[in-house]
Amino acid sequence: MYADLAHFFTVNWLGQAIVILAECLLVTVPLLLAVAYMTYADRKIWASIQLRRGPNVVGPFGLLQPMADGLKLLLKETIIPSSANTVLFLIAPMITFMTALIAWAVVPFNDGWVIANINVGILYLFAISSLGVYGIIIAGWASNSKYAFLGALRSAAQMVSYEVSIGFVLVTVLLCVGSLNLTKVVLAQSGWFWNWFWLPLLPMFVIFFVSALAETNRTPFDLPMSEAELVQGFQTEYSSMPFALFFLGEYANMILLSAMGAVLFLGGWMSPIPYAPFTWIPGLIWFALKIALLLFVFSWSKGTLPRYRYDQLMRLGWKVFLPVSLGWLVLTAAVLQFGGWVPGK
Amino acid sequence: MPKLKIDGVEIEVPAGITVLQACEMAGVEIPRFCYHERLSIAGNCRMCLVEQEKAPKPIASCAMPAAEGMVIKTDTPMVKKARNGVMEFLLINHPLDCPICDQGGECDLQDQAMAFGFDRSRYHENKRAVPDKELGPLVKTSMNRCIHCTRCIRFATEVAGVEELGATGRGESMEVTTYVEHALSSELSGNLVDLCPVGALTSKPYAFEARSWELSKTESVDVLDALGANIRVDTRGATVMRVLPRLNDDINEEWIGDKTRHAVDGLRYQRLDRPYVRKAGKLAPATWAEAFTAIASKLEGVDGKKIAAIVGDQCDAEAMVALKDLMAALGSPNVDCRQDGARLEAGVRAGYIFNPGIQGIDQADAILLIGTNPRLESPVLNARIRKRYLTGRCAIASIGSVADLTYPTERLGAGPATLRELADGKLGFSEKLKAAKNPLIIVGMGALSRDDGTAVLALARELAEKANAVREDWNGFAVLHTAAARVGGLDLGLVPGEGGRDVAGILEGAQAKEIEVVYLLAADEIDTQKLGKAFVVYQGHHGDAGAHRADVILPGAAYTEKPGTYVNTEGRVQLGRRANFPPGEAREDWAILRALSERLGKTLPYDTLDQVRSRLVAVSRSFAALDQQVAGNWGTFGKAGPTSDAAFASPITNYYMTCPISRASRTMAECMASRQQLLAAE
Amino acid sequence: MASLDRTARTFLLSEVVSGFLLTLKYMFKPKVTVNYPYEKGPLSPRFRGEHALRRYPNGEERCIACKLCEAVCPAQAITIEAEPRDDGSRRTTRYDIDMTKCIYCGLCQEACPVDAIVEGPNFEFASETREELMYNKEKLLANGDRWESEIAANLQADAAYR
Repeated sequence: MYADLAHFFTVNWLGQAIVILAECLLVTVPLLLAVAYMTYADRKIWASIQLRRGPNVVGPFGLLQPMADGLKLLLKETIIPSSANTVLFLIAPMITFMTALIAWAVVPFNDGWVIANINVGILYLFAISSLGVYGIIIAGWASNSKYAFLGALRSAAQMVSYEVSIGFVLVTVLLCVGSLNLTKVVLAQSGWFWNWFWLPLLPMFVIFFVSALAETNRTPFDLPMSEAELVQGFQTEYSSMPFALFFLGEYANMILLSAMGAVLFLGGWMSPIPYAPFTWIPGLIWFALKIALLLFVFSWSKGTLPRYRYDQLMRLGWKVFLPVSLGWLVLTAAVLQFGGWVPGK
Repeated sequence: MPKLKIDGVEIEVPAGITVLQACEMAGVEIPRFCYHERLSIAGNCRMCLVEQEKAPKPIASCAMPAAEGMVIKTDTPMVKKARNGVMEFLLINHPLDCPICDQGGECDLQDQAMAFGFDRSRYHENKRAVPDKELGPLVKTSMNRCIHCTRCIRFATEVAGVEELGATGRGESMEVTTYVEHALSSELSGNLVDLCPVGALTSKPYAFEARSWELSKTESVDVLDALGANIRVDTRGATVMRVLPRLNDDINEEWIGDKTRHAVDGLRYQRLDRPYVRKAGKLAPATWAEAFTAIASKLEGVDGKKIAAIVGDQCDAEAMVALKDLMAALGSPNVDCRQDGARLEAGVRAGYIFNPGIQGIDQADAILLIGTNPRLESPVLNARIRKRYLTGRCAIASIGSVADLTYPTERLGAGPATLRELADGKLGFSEKLKAAKNPLIIVGMGALSRDDGTAVLALARELAEKANAVREDWNGFAVLHTAAARVGGLDLGLVPGEGGRDVAGILEGAQAKEIEVVYLLAADEIDTQKLGKAFVVYQGHHGDAGAHRADVILPGAAYTEKPGTYVNTEGRVQLGRRANFPPGEAREDWAILRALSERLGKTLPYDTLDQVRSRLVAVSRSFAALDQQVAGNWGTFGKAGPTSDAAFASPITNYYMTCPISRASRTMAECMASRQQLLAAE
Repeated sequence: MASLDRTARTFLLSEVVSGFLLTLKYMFKPKVTVNYPYEKGPLSPRFRGEHALRRYPNGEERCIACKLCEAVCPAQAITIEAEPRDDGSRRTTRYDIDMTKCIYCGLCQEACPVDAIVEGPNFEFASETREELMYNKEKLLANGDRWESEIAANLQADAAYR
């Protein structure tokens, strides 16, 4: 009986499909829930920084606010501008949303807890996050509105600029690990929390985090949707569900980049202190806590920093981050080579 | 020509004028309440005080004749203090109820209190209370507000000629009253409201309806009688709220009749706001296209001689010329603008206009009224004759039944026979006419709209020539019309063409089925029973007699709703301007005719108002000169013939209801009821 | 030395970090906002909220249709039509305020010679449709009846300064 079931779920194509589907649901449902409460957390954090209360009316402590917001967006009328390209206009938010979700396939939640444990995990992540910009560019173009178009242009330029830095950061990390497999990246950081890469590669970690802010269009890099000058950027013409998809995609992306940060620099599912009782706590919890910490910094920076000017944004990307990350990459390579710490040797 | 100094400026003024007028000429405005240029001087408000050098106290400038060597100062502290004092006294008993006063916003007292008033009162005693008076359906009184300027009393006595208002008591007990309370019996009573410098007399139909600052003001011309009084139409939104006179010394000075002023509420009732087509005996709402189709299908194949058109009394010249051109295009000679059957001819212009002009009345020294009651036909013109009478040395006589004209007339006789005798010099008055320097013979429609009208016209011409009333420097032959469109229609030649029928002929033809289609351009004063089985198209603005009989109704615009050209009884061309838009689907009349002509395949050659107006000038040169009287050429008109013995009777017996607008007006109905009550009481 | 100092500050992100610490500190300070629907801030007697048409104590409406409010309204939000009432007094037949046009400047109550139109203390009159914000005379009089005690108290409190 058990053998039959095992056979069904491991060999039979239908069984495998069910397993994959179940895995996907297991990842996406909590993820979307997390997205919902991320918006709540965001608002609460900004409110406390500004000495306000934040949402506190819907449900206890306003906990049902995300549900109410979601319901509102669901029930609103979908307005498609008459001059918009209807098909692309509707596809754009889907692209953003889906790319934000499929990247989670390679993220290890715990040792072995990964949907696709591929050897080029980092490359895959990098590729998917680059695809995300298409959703925004298409949205801006299909809206047929000047604000949306300007927003899309800014977004494209910004993403291209900061992806270069992220690329070098990733290369630096994989130099230290010697593998592109994310599980191996985590395992390479075992030990005390100061063994994690955040400390040896501190400048890279900072660059990674700042670039992540830019990648996700978050303050201080929210120029593509700056409401003061571009109304709402590429989202100007969106309402109802398409808008909700953008919104979800963006927050999912944020969580994804936080997860990447946790995997690459904060030791993934590892406990900060490699002894009991800390090791009794499941790796998933540690992983979630690390993601939450990074997300808090995301919100915190929105509450703290003013928006960059466009030229400052470009200068920072190309004239500061690019040379610094390149330099640090060379430095790391040199230290590994001449210090004899090249992994895998 | 005395020379005097006003505020340091030397000025030479005509002899006999007052200091106040001299100050006006010097460009200094003197505040006043009781003084009015067209009324006698009362000098009782004391607001016009000025300082005269060497005079022991301030002088009332309105009552002081300007004399040689006077030195007048109008801006000294003494003058200011004197006026402040007068203002404070005036306000002692004034209730200060400006928020509920209809005069608020256009009140002389309010304005002058801004300049000379004090911002609080030092008077703590009780104010006096005066019972309000009932002055009829047009004038509302609030006698607490009265400041005893007596303008109303002087107007009623001098201009309107009804000595019905007066003052009782003196000092604080003074009251303006009619003694025994009754409605004013004047046709000019509405002007009391304009004259009153405060809110004691306000317009009753307009009571509390609007504020002066809410109204858009359009300068226009009145069409409810043939005088062409200059008016200002005040509208709020799409509604005409009131009509006020406009200053024009040549025509109406600054008066207008009660009908002109108060019939405008008729513009709100009984309006035709969409086309109608008669289906199975009943008028059913239709679209413009349906209405035009109904007309076109009826006109198809009908001989031009079987088509006729009658023009109403209040049409603008633009609509008339369009109708004339359309009928010509249809080949119809049957056009007539003389609804009442007046035997006037289109050719000789001097034969149908008021040649001396309204202002000519002031120069006349013998006036003969033939078959006219100017008090009902044109009360403002009647006031002008009364003004002439008051100046003295003017003999006034009348032929035909004439009631109280507010001035005495010598009644010569009743009908054409008297006129004959007068022309033959058999009556005493003919000597007076001959002796007069400027004899004025006013022929009314009562004498002309009869079967023997042509002969009467010839008689009147003969009389005028014999009395030497037609000279190079003076033409005393005057026709007083009752219809505002009449002179324009005659100028444009809207009379039967060769072999054409006049109004009586058209009606006869319609009964005899010789006329198949009749086009009524706002013509309501005909006997619609006589239209027989003819297909009647009615184009007009009110659901009156013509519309009831019509088979197709085309909704037109009333006079406040279209830019139009009107020629008054003097032959003066004046422009009426659009004050509001016609209701619903109604359109400007010439445009309707233009659109209909296109549907009939006989497109009229004009698309814009300017083009229509050029066409007017092309048809009659008299339309080229605006706002001035173009002298008519004298010639032979009328035709001697047998006359009947019937007495001349004015065509207007009821002043308040003479046209579709005034018939629809509720105010006019009230006026009529009030007048009947008054007559019954007498 | 100064440039070295500045460079060090830049590379060590000291300004950014101090900013972050500042906001972190504020995060734990007490809130300054009131918990709006459950607690409300104080209102001045001069507060200009929702309009109301008042009545005299005997129930007679105060408005005399002088139209000064209509004339003074800078947003042209007021529309009045008037005619004599059966007893001959001057009354409005229509008194409309378009609350979507109103800018709550208070000039109408300043212009009113009889304290008929006033802006009361109520500011919670949001509606689900625009139509509900087109106030007519009935609604305004009802407002007056509902808020009379507060309005009268406010006028009383402010009377000394007029």
